[in-house]
Parts: sequence; structure tokens; C-alpha cells
Amino acid sequence: MSFPDDATPRADVASKSRIADPALAPEGRLAIGWAQRHSPVLSGLVRRELEDGAFRGQRVALVVHLEAKTAFLATVLADAGARVVVAGSNPHSTRDDIAAALVDMGIEVHSSRQSSYEVWEEDLLAVADSEPHYIIDDGAELTVRMAKHRPELYRQLKGVSEETTTGVARLKALHAADRLPFPAMAANDAACKHMFDNRYGTGQSTIQAILSLTNLLMAGKRVAIVGYGWVGRGIATYVRALGGRAIVIEVDPIKALEAFMDGHEVAEPAVALPGADIVITATGGMRAIGSRHFPWLKPNAVLANAGHHDLEIDVEALAEEADSYSGIRPGVTRFEWRGKPINVLSSGALVNISGGLGHPIEIMDLSFAVQGLSSHELIVGDYPPGVHVLPRRLDEEIARARLLAEGISLDVVTDDQFDTIDEWLEVGS
Amino acid sequence: MNNPEANIVDANMAPEGLGRIAWAREFMPALADAQREVAESGLLQGRRVGIILTLEPKTACLALALAEAGADVSVFCSATHVTDSVAAALVSHGVAVYARSDADAEFDEVLLNRFIDEHIEILIDDGAGGTRYIHTRRLDALPFLKGVAEETTSGVRPLRVMESEGALTVPAIAVNDARAKQLFDNVYGTGQAVVMTLIDVTNTQLQGKEVVVVGYGWVGSGIARCAHALGARVTVTEIDSIRALQAIHDGYDVARLETVCPTGDVFITATGIGYSLTGDHMRLMKDGAIVSVGGAGPPEVDLGGLNPVERGEFARAEIRTIPVGDDRSVFLIADGECSNVSAAEGNSIEIMDLSLAVQMRAVQYLAANQKTLTNGVHPVPPEIDDSVARSLLAAIGAELDEPSPAQERHAASWQFTAETT
Repeated sequence: MSFPDDATPRADVASKSRIADPALAPEGRLAIGWAQRHSPVLSGLVRRELEDGAFRGQRVALVVHLEAKTAFLATVLADAGARVVVAGSNPHSTRDDIAAALVDMGIEVHSSRQSSYEVWEEDLLAVADSEPHYIIDDGAELTVRMAKHRPELYRQLKGVSEETTTGVARLKALHAADRLPFPAMAANDAACKHMFDNRYGTGQSTIQAILSLTNLLMAGKRVAIVGYGWVGRGIATYVRALGGRAIVIEVDPIKALEAFMDGHEVAEPAVALPGADIVITATGGMRAIGSRHFPWLKPNAVLANAGHHDLEIDVEALAEEADSYSGIRPGVTRFEWRGKPINVLSSGALVNISGGLGHPIEIMDLSFAVQGLSSHELIVGDYPPGVHVLPRRLDEEIARARLLAEGISLDVVTDDQFDTIDEWLEVGS
Repeated sequence: MNNPEANIVDANMAPEGLGRIAWAREFMPALADAQREVAESGLLQGRRVGIILTLEPKTACLALALAEAGADVSVFCSATHVTDSVAAALVSHGVAVYARSDADAEFDEVLLNRFIDEHIEILIDDGAGGTRYIHTRRLDALPFLKGVAEETTSGVRPLRVMESEGALTVPAIAVNDARAKQLFDNVYGTGQAVVMTLIDVTNTQLQGKEVVVVGYGWVGSGIARCAHALGARVTVTEIDSIRALQAIHDGYDVARLETVCPTGDVFITATGIGYSLTGDHMRLMKDGAIVSVGGAGPPEVDLGGLNPVERGEFARAEIRTIPVGDDRSVFLIADGECSNVSAAEGNSIEIMDLSLAVQMRAVQYLAANQKTLTNGVHPVPPEIDDSVARSLLAAIGAELDEPSPAQERHAASWQFTAETT
């Protein structure tokens, strides 16, 4: 099915959109320009691959934390002919100037930073009602809502490309329940995404946000890290590199052993938490720090979340059990819990995005290159319903494009370097 | 109401400032210890103490600590380094503040003169700016001045020059040179803050970047360490042979600055000396190179005839685009001001706790010894360093060993005889 080039008039886009303040557009445009400058892979390889016209007339819903890098991806897709409709994947992470700039550039947006969860739900449903063919999703937030609230539009979806570990798990659960009638790409599972985005990107920007929100020092700190997946590994690396000591809390024996071999302390919460100045959750699940953990926390501990869920630190329980709470500095809420102060950053939302500028641009250039090529693959490839991964060949092309931008060349394998297994097979036959 | 002639912008901004000051105080155990001891000594009761430091929550804690220890405290800060809400918060506590972020250079000088009119007895100075001003333009205020405590490397240097020329007419304590300050503030504090400010402002990564650190003193080594920790490849440029050798042994490359200009992605200066990186260097840099300052403000980085793009055409806030020819541009952070202070919140609280606790005790030392201290630059007494370090160790809960009698005897002896028990 192909659509006429539906260049929606700008006024129409503006009237359909729900954003905070259109006047912020000029500032947002500068930020998107800066992101573009540091995105060699999206600007080069991805633009070239998308020139085949596959996106022309396709309606693409983009539901990822709405800031400058995401906006640049939206423009790349729109330039390739897609009709892009954008919402944020979290009610606290949208940058209003970026949203305004996108609308100014003719892209429909439903999002604002200070929205309640109710308004955010309405925004997501507004995007669903634009009847997308494809979704670039984060945490599968739009996909699961369409499955539940817009079942007919859900069945019409042609594919979903998913950004996060949490979202991939949700899509696999849908598939296992036989409720995924279209192919999905686990963009997260591409090497060029999780090896860099989850580890270096989230690792660096989480530490960055914690230090800038608190104005504290990392050297000499004891930092408990809940979860040692890609994100937890990255956080632990930078904690140590900046002079802190990481104490890892895990439920998975293999990951716990890996943390131990990486030279970190590994301990159960009752042992790890009482000495921790900072506690960071990175499990991708919910209530990793909850009611049963509060008694163990050190007075004045700083709690921050690096995982997808706003309830990975159970701030609801904390608010309920606390005698009082108040904002002590921008981004820092102090709870008085049974006479003990406990500080939560960014209300428990993803600290690197809510309390900072998110991942470094160059890292998101890789992640969004994966998203761009994954969604392109969904259009041009012939994938059955289920959860798929970007072909290794395209993953490698992304890495090559970045290396090329850095002026780095690779070695090549010569014939005499191959293992001699063939000879042995011949001898044995 | 904003009265442009007033000493601060708006007294109504106090609540936000008070919150941020309260947060900082939670993480300043060494300053709290110093305050308690100074208050008990009564030495600062009624003494007029002036502070010229970047005015933000941590330095505000020092002002409050001095006031609560009995001193009569005044604060001056130039427009580029003042947080208005913190200024308002201090005023609400009875501290005299002369600092507003909207002041131009001329009004900054008016405010400085009003500050000096307080007849400061003990001055906590930054860059020796106040000391030099009083010694040259406000000789009328000089008789009141009994001592100076200097915070920075770039201030101790001119004080020593003044001393050698016989121009320094008061005792000055080189707080900057205290071990509890230099080994921590300059290395860990400035190191972390400058590098984090860079990646915060630019939203870029350091992994894989070639970062050139100009100057490998305490600050430069901290910046190199932090950039390396975040995955950068670090090259150091130096004029001092020992420091260059030290950089190599710390695992970094050493090269001449103009040699690495064409290849570096990021340049951070940490010399504290003017003209360390100039327009001539920038003309050699590749398109998109980023220049940031971790030492002193201009002219440490000097544009040398290059013209930045007019205000309003920032690529982003705090980033200035400087065309360097051949369609290439270099990006300068915070207009060449010290980036961690100008584009972020300065060094971390715990680090400033050490520095400011030394300041607090240095002021007490000046008050206690003003009759005997000679006019000139004096080091911080080792007891001050020791008590500040012990305050923080106690707060962390780290315990120290004590030398055994056998160790003490061995340390004090020179003969070959073995200890017998």
C-alpha cells in the first residue's frame, strides 16, 4: 500500500500537535543542529540507505525520549518520505524546545515535559490514532497500549522496532502469548546498540547526571549498583574510573560472578546498602529498591534510577511511608523516612534523561542508526511475526561507518591466516 | 523589586538559595568542625571578615560558618560568578553581600568599592584581586586590613611577586598551597568538575577522543586522569621537564602544542598563565575542535584576533563558535572563562568542604597571630592541614594507625643496631 506524498500543511501539523510552547522552536533548532553535527552515521550511512524510497508514504510513530537526538532521527525519517508522528516515552523526559522545533519543521508531536501520567497516556493514544504502519518504540510503551486500547489499529501494524531491554522483554512476552501479529526488531539487541548505548552511554550519562544534580564528588564514594547487566556494568566502570567503589547487588549468579571477577564488591542488599552513599538501580524491572530496603539505607543516601521504569525505586512507597518530603534543590527530593533523610533524584525517573541531557550524541547516533536501519529492514525485508534482530551485516556497516568517520581503518584477513580445520576434516574423511 | 543600584538583584530569591545551601551543608563535616572550634575560641567575635569568592552554595556555607562563629561578614563577587538566589539567602542571614549577576564591569567595581568600604580586617581572596585592588586603588582601606587568606594558585603567584617587590603590607596565608586543599581540590575537584562540565555542556562522549591537556600541574593531572577514566586518549603539553616526565609515567603522551593542534578533538588548558593557548593554535585545529579552560580565565586562552560569532548564534548555550578560516570552526566553552565555575556549579561539595575548612582555620590563625606574623606570604601551618583531614576521616569513619614506640625509636635513630625487646 502506498500513499500519495502527503505533505501535510504546516498549520495542520501545528493544530494536530500538543506541545508546551511553539515559541521555543528557535532554541530547539539550534540543539538539533548540534546533534546533527555529531551524528556522522545517521547523516551518512542511514540517509543513503533510506534513499531507496521505502519510507515514502509510510506512517511512522516515534516514541522515544523526546530530545535533540531523537528529533534528529525524526527529521532523517521525514526526509526519507515517512510521515512521522512523535511522542515522548516518559512523561518527564521531553524537552519542550525540541518538541516546538519539530512542529516548526512540519512534524506532528504530542508531548510536553510537565505532563501528568494521564496526559501522557492521552498523548500516546493520539499517536496511536494517527494509524501508524510502523512504531519506533521505547519500552514498547506505544505497542502495549495499542494492543490494549486500540486492538484494531494494533492488528494493522506492520512492524515495531524496539529501543530497550525492557521493551524487548515485553515484545517477547507478547509473542509467547501469541499476541504479536507482526514482525518486531529488537534494535536493543544489535551490537551497535546495547554494547555502546547501554554500557557507555547510560553508564557515563547516569554518573554525569548524578554528579551534576547533587554537586557531589565521586572520588571516595561507595556506590551500590542494583543489577549488573549492560547498564550496570557501564555504571560500575565509571564509578571506579572516577575514584568511587562499586558494590554490586545481583540476583543472577552468572552476572554476580562477572561483577566479582571485574573486581567489584558483590553483596546482598542488607550488607551492601548500609554503607552506600549512592544507590543506583539498573535492573529494568520494578521496585528494585522498595519498602524492605529502606531500613538498610544509610542516612542521607542518594538514590537514582538508570532503568526504564519510574518505579524501579519505589517512590510511591517511600512517599507513603515518609513523614514528609520536599524538593531541596532542583531535581533532588528529600524524604524524611522515620527520622532518616533519604534523597531521590529526578523523582525516580531515568536520571540521565530527566536530570541531564541523556546519552552523548555520538552514542545515540549509533543507536538511532540501528533504529533507522531496523525499521527500514521491516519495510523491505520479509520477516514473519516474532522478535528479530538486525542482520549482522547491517550491524557491522554501522560500526564501519563510525570508524570511517573517525578516520580508522581495519586490518584484513589473508588466506594463510585461516585455521587449518579444513585439512583435518579431509584427513578424517 | 529589582533596583539596579542595589547590592543584590532580588532579596525575594532567598528560599531557593537557602535550599541549596542546606543541601551543601549536609556534605561539609570538616567546615562544621572548624566552625565549632573557631566559635569556641571566640577569636573572630566582632572581627570584620571579607570574602571574595565565587558566590554559590558552598562558599555561602563558609560565609555562614564565619558569621555563626561571631564574625561580621561581607561578601563581594563579580557578575560572572554570582548565583543571585544564594546572594539573597546570605542577606536573609544578615551577611552583607555585594554581588549581582546583571552588573556590568563598571557596576562590579562600584560593588567592590562598597565592599571595601566595610573596612575589611581579614580578607579571603581569590586571585589576589581584592588585595591588589586595595594596595593600588584603595589605600585608604589598607590600614584596616590585617591579613589575607588566598584561595588559588593564580592568586598566590602575584602575592609572592608583591612580597619580593616589598609591596605586600600585610601577612598572607597561601591557603591554596595547603595539602588538604591542593591534593584534593585541584586534582579531584577541578579534575572531575572541568571534565564533567565539558561533557554536560556539549552532550558528547570522551570515549575514543584525543584530549589535549595543556599544563600538567595539580589541575592538569586531575583533568587528564578524569578524561582518561571516561575513555579519552590523553596527550599532555608542558614547559616543565619534570612534569612532562611525570605525565609520561602516568601513561599519557607528551607533545608540543602546535604539533597536536591538527589532531586533537578537545583542548583543555590548566596552566593558570595567560596566552597558554592562542588564536594561532586555534587556526591549526580541525573543524569542530572544542577548547575549554580549567585554569584561570582570560587571557589563559586568548583569541588573538579571531572573531567569535555574534551572541545569539551560539551553536548551544555556553558554546561559542569561532571561525578559524577555510570553513572551519572551533568551539569555545564559556567564552574562555574557567569552565567548571562559569558553565556549571563549580567543584563538588565534599572537595570544597576541605578547602573552605582550611580557609576557616586560616582566618582564625590570622586573627590569633596578627601581631607576630610578618608582612609576606606564609604557608598554612601543618596542624591546620592535619585537623581538616582528620575531621573528614572521622566523618567517613576511616581510622588511622599510630606509630608504635619501636617505630618511633627507629624513625629517630641512625645507628645500625637492631631493636631488641
